[in-house]
Amino acid sequence: MRSLLLIARFTWREALARRLILAVLLLTLVFVGLYLYGTDALLRSFQRRAAELGRELPGQAQLFASATLVLMGMYIANFLGSLLAVFSTAAAVSGEADSGTLQAVLPKPIRRWEFLLGKWLGHLSLVLPYLVLLTLALLYGAQAITGYLPPQPFYAIGLMLLGALFLLTLTLLGSTLFSTLTTGVVLFMLYGLGWAGGIVGSVGALTGSKTLQQIGTLSSYVVPSDRLWRGASVYLQPEALRQVQDVARGNPFVGTEPLGAGYLLWVGIYTLGVLLLALWVFRRRDF
Amino acid sequence: MPLAIETHHLRKVFHGRPAVEDLNLEVAQGEVFGFLGPNGAGKSTTVKMLLGLTHPSAGVARILGQPIEDLEVRRQVGFLPELFRFHDWMTGRDFLRFHGQLYGMETADLERRIPEALELVGLAGRERERIKGYSKGMQQRIGLAQAILNRPKLVILDEPTSALDPIGRREVRELIAHLKAEGTTVFLNSHLLSEVELTCDRVAIVNKGRVIQSGNLAELLNPHLEAELRVDKVTPALRNALSGLARILEENGERLTLALPSEDTLPAVAEAVVHSGTKLYALTPRRESLEDLFVTLIEGGDS
Repeated sequence: MRSLLLIARFTWREALARRLILAVLLLTLVFVGLYLYGTDALLRSFQRRAAELGRELPGQAQLFASATLVLMGMYIANFLGSLLAVFSTAAAVSGEADSGTLQAVLPKPIRRWEFLLGKWLGHLSLVLPYLVLLTLALLYGAQAITGYLPPQPFYAIGLMLLGALFLLTLTLLGSTLFSTLTTGVVLFMLYGLGWAGGIVGSVGALTGSKTLQQIGTLSSYVVPSDRLWRGASVYLQPEALRQVQDVARGNPFVGTEPLGAGYLLWVGIYTLGVLLLALWVFRRRDF
Repeated sequence: MPLAIETHHLRKVFHGRPAVEDLNLEVAQGEVFGFLGPNGAGKSTTVKMLLGLTHPSAGVARILGQPIEDLEVRRQVGFLPELFRFHDWMTGRDFLRFHGQLYGMETADLERRIPEALELVGLAGRERERIKGYSKGMQQRIGLAQAILNRPKLVILDEPTSALDPIGRREVRELIAHLKAEGTTVFLNSHLLSEVELTCDRVAIVNKGRVIQSGNLAELLNPHLEAELRVDKVTPALRNALSGLARILEENGERLTLALPSEDTLPAVAEAVVHSGTKLYALTPRRESLEDLFVTLIEGGDS
């Protein structure tokens, strides 16, 4: 356990020393700043236009505009979280194996599983708090400007965290198998696959095509990240907007149906399975 | 006392191709052991199997009597990898702290030991600098410090002087002598034969994944003692006198090349030459170097 925590701490120190944390925080500040500035500007322009017509912005319109802005912001936050999960973890094992630093570490009195779980914990403790901070900054920043706070924001954040956790764990598995570059590419292609699968599924729902819907469902089991986001987006929309979306159908970026317990259980078991597989592969590998 | 290292029929196959064929090795505690062989002989693969970095396809390796998976054993082993690449964003001191913590050393002990280790490898005063800024030789030195930090019973050094200048090499020789004096077993993987000749008690020569020769360095080189004899005239009486003492390898006028069983035979040869009535001008022993032995063995094995 001591060694496991040592490796986790070491991951943090490396991220700090390599200025990863600094760079991410600075860019995130810029992103959040721009987002809130844009939100404010957009809302003002709506209100100005309504005033030019001699009216007030209708409550429903303001609500929909605010909720859509929050959805967009959270969509990007989810993307950034996924990006960080993949790219901060892609080199976790392969980077150390390629550079040879592992050769001095692994003969030490440390079990291989302790090393890998330490890496997992280290990256997880970087990525997940980052995502929490980012989403809270967006949600409460937007609330301060628009007055709108989604009905159940913490459910949404929870599902986004699960998505990032899954991607991070899958990346760790990739990193025990492939080089850093290959891991990054493979993971992003898988992420893209989940995303495309989600769109195909939405189109299927819109056109009533069973085959497309099945493709969408299948991809959501293989790469759950997109479906988890859709599940999260349900909790970010006011009831009225959800009904509109539900009628309109086929918005490829948001969902209207909460995720079932069965699906969440699948994602949990899947993530655990990927982690166990990574431990098994790492244990058997020659360095 | 268990052996420092023992392997029985150790074998490693990569993609159907054996890197280590059938390796049997015994290294006693307290000795400085040289592990020699040409490139691709399976030296590094063997070292990696000893350390648990690579899993053997067959056979057993034991360190201090235990399998290397045993954490207690790992605590007593130090290792300098051949490709000494370390986390170069760390300072030398942070690097040693990290590795000391990996060894499970207590903080107070570690803080006491770090300056000692730095002193031993000649890096004292440079520990606050980042490893990134170190020269290649300094990086190898900090790697050596890492390998001896835990006061190991067994130190495995894979090409420890590859990046060092002649002065650095001599310092490493002194470090190895220091470790030996403290009772540490040193396993030296090297193809710098002169280094091995100067530092090792015993050697094993490997080729194609097998040990083709091993033993005490002096004994390995002794049977091959040759001497050059120069006399006024080679007579039957001289031949007669020499028979039983030495074998004539080569004859070139008044010069004879003799093969002797050992150095102790030299005075007897001189005496015999004089007694046979021949005039003795020179009798020069020519010890075979480790390099000669190495080349003979490897090329002999190839043909």
